[in-house]
Amino acid sequence: MIVLMSKVEIAGHKELLEDVLSELQQSGSLQIDPNTAGFIKKEDRAYIESFLPDDKTLSERVFLEDIRSKIMELFSCLPFIPSKRSYIEPRPIIDTIYNNLQGHLAMCRELTERRDRLQKEIDEVNRYTAFLDAVEPLLKDVKETPDVDFIGLILKNMDSLKVLSTFLRRQTDEKFEILTAPLSDGSLAGLIVVAKPLAENIKRGLGDRDIPELSFPPSCAGLTFPEKLSCLRKRSSEILDELDAVSMQMDSFAGKWGSIYRKTLEWVNGRLAVLKAAGSVFESEMCFFIYGWMASAEVNTLKQKLEQQFSGRVFLEELELREEDFERIPVMLKNPAYFKPFELFTKLLPLPRYTSYDPTPFIAVFLPVFFGMILGDAGYGLVLMTASYFLYRKFRDREYMRDAAKILFLSAAYAVVFGVIYGEYFGDLGHTLFGLKPLFVERRTAVIPMLYFAITVGVVHVLLGSALGLISAMKKKEKKHALARVLQIAMIMFLLSLVASLFGLFPRLLTRPLILTILFFTPFLLFTGGILAPLELIKSIGNIISYARIMAIGLTSVLLAFVANRLAGMTGDIVIGIFVAGFLHLLNIVIGVFSPAIHSLRLHYVEFFSKFIEPGGRRFEPLKKEEEEEILWKSKKFF
Amino acid sequence: MEIEKVLLAFAAALAIGLSALATAWAQSKIGAAGAGALAEKPELTATIIILIAIPETMVILGFVVAAMILFGV
Repeated sequence: MIVLMSKVEIAGHKELLEDVLSELQQSGSLQIDPNTAGFIKKEDRAYIESFLPDDKTLSERVFLEDIRSKIMELFSCLPFIPSKRSYIEPRPIIDTIYNNLQGHLAMCRELTERRDRLQKEIDEVNRYTAFLDAVEPLLKDVKETPDVDFIGLILKNMDSLKVLSTFLRRQTDEKFEILTAPLSDGSLAGLIVVAKPLAENIKRGLGDRDIPELSFPPSCAGLTFPEKLSCLRKRSSEILDELDAVSMQMDSFAGKWGSIYRKTLEWVNGRLAVLKAAGSVFESEMCFFIYGWMASAEVNTLKQKLEQQFSGRVFLEELELREEDFERIPVMLKNPAYFKPFELFTKLLPLPRYTSYDPTPFIAVFLPVFFGMILGDAGYGLVLMTASYFLYRKFRDREYMRDAAKILFLSAAYAVVFGVIYGEYFGDLGHTLFGLKPLFVERRTAVIPMLYFAITVGVVHVLLGSALGLISAMKKKEKKHALARVLQIAMIMFLLSLVASLFGLFPRLLTRPLILTILFFTPFLLFTGGILAPLELIKSIGNIISYARIMAIGLTSVLLAFVANRLAGMTGDIVIGIFVAGFLHLLNIVIGVFSPAIHSLRLHYVEFFSKFIEPGGRRFEPLKKEEEEEILWKSKKFF
Repeated sequence: MEIEKVLLAFAAALAIGLSALATAWAQSKIGAAGAGALAEKPELTATIIILIAIPETMVILGFVVAAMILFGV
């Protein structure tokens, strides 16, 4: 539901401003509006102007911004180590924290640079090691003499090897040897053995042909190939030890200081929010004025709190809401416990305007019913109810998963209800084993009755949407728009009656009067709804037909269940039969979770809400303290 | 009489088949664009699933027409 909001003004002596803002932040119930339009009377505008912060406030803000950016940089360097919440009060010791922070930041920068350098070096060493590991077995056949030189390189593929061989033949007059071995990434490790006087020319030529020689680290210079290998392995082990030491140092630092800096960041953010909020305040010679929005239910509580806290020197007054204010009122959604989990789906939509409707209750009422209508199998429903129970138990501390489990449970309960109505218990298994029969209709055979049923659901749902749109237009006193809505609803009913009479569902005699009525009302529809009104009407008819998916997707589900049971019977073996049926039913259940949910949602988003929900609402963002979870998330998100 | 049945079945097959192809084509376009969008904004997952489901109206309409042809409504 959209919470009823009030427009308020808070006034008091200027010197109390900071305390009042801190109190408002503590209560977290007021959104300060920096725009005075609609708040200040014309005759008062000459005396009221924007609040200008003094030099002290400005320098505090710069100082706190600096601390914040430094803490964020610190978090970006450090690993996240969960630790107990710190109870240090940062305000009295903020200067000490700042001094420490500078030293800690320099240390963390140095550790990060060292870690990056070591990581880069180990990557290089690993590359050399991979090369040397590949060519080491080849070296056994090569005798190392002082007049022979080795050139190591990595070749992309066999074609590169052919090009290289041609080049070497030309340069050395066939006096060379090239040894190759495959590497794990598909490239080739190559080792050219050539007389020392020719080596320089070849290296230059390789560079010109974009086949760079593999150059080894300077620490391995002057060593033979086998010596280079052992030198690199030793270095690799040293680097890994150093990396471990750096990581341990960072972990230990993060464990010791992380919670203190998180607490400091929490305080700094809160303080900065108050200082920024001061920029949206107005002042006269003696007083400050805060204008904003808050839930009507909380106005009296805040009023009493301010009066008590400031001994009657700060006043809160509720201002009259005018018609032009409706576009600016921020929107806050608040739903009862049953509807609350369905806000998960509402969050996917843009926020509705204050004068519109909260989509949550509609989704909460209709979505589980549609899901049940589509899935409609008591056996599947019970399986999903059990699964949702375990899902809820396992992810109780994760809000999204908890809500999803609740929604699944409710939807599965409706699937059980409709399963009993359709007589489906794992397809026709209930009927085959226990003789269970449908209460009303068997979906598998009653295709056309189910189609009529689905379309009827569509008619009711779309007309309900249009009726809500009509109420919304009437509330806003948009007479022409409201009349267009009435005509649209009437035209939809006339058109549907016409189709019913053409198909023999209504008496044929009605056909001509209905056509004449539609023709009579068409000009009125054009006049009230504009040139696009007939198109809107056709769209509505398309929307209604779209509800046929309730029957169509349900039919595929029941047929797959039927096929599963039939195939299991055809195996002639009870074990294989249970396995085959179990696998196909499981597949059907998995599809049965996603497909009905997505299509039910789509029916709401596209067909239903387009009739009455007006998007474009402004989210209610009160001045409040940052939650600890938000700070934790900020410090975690870098990893 | 037999040829009439064949023609009805063929017409129903065309109604559902062509609309299914149209849906598939639309979904392929939306799916490709959606995958691109998801690479940059993973939080759009649910919205993109819904967008992919939108062209299914075509195949639903095709199904309704096919059912009407086959069951002689």
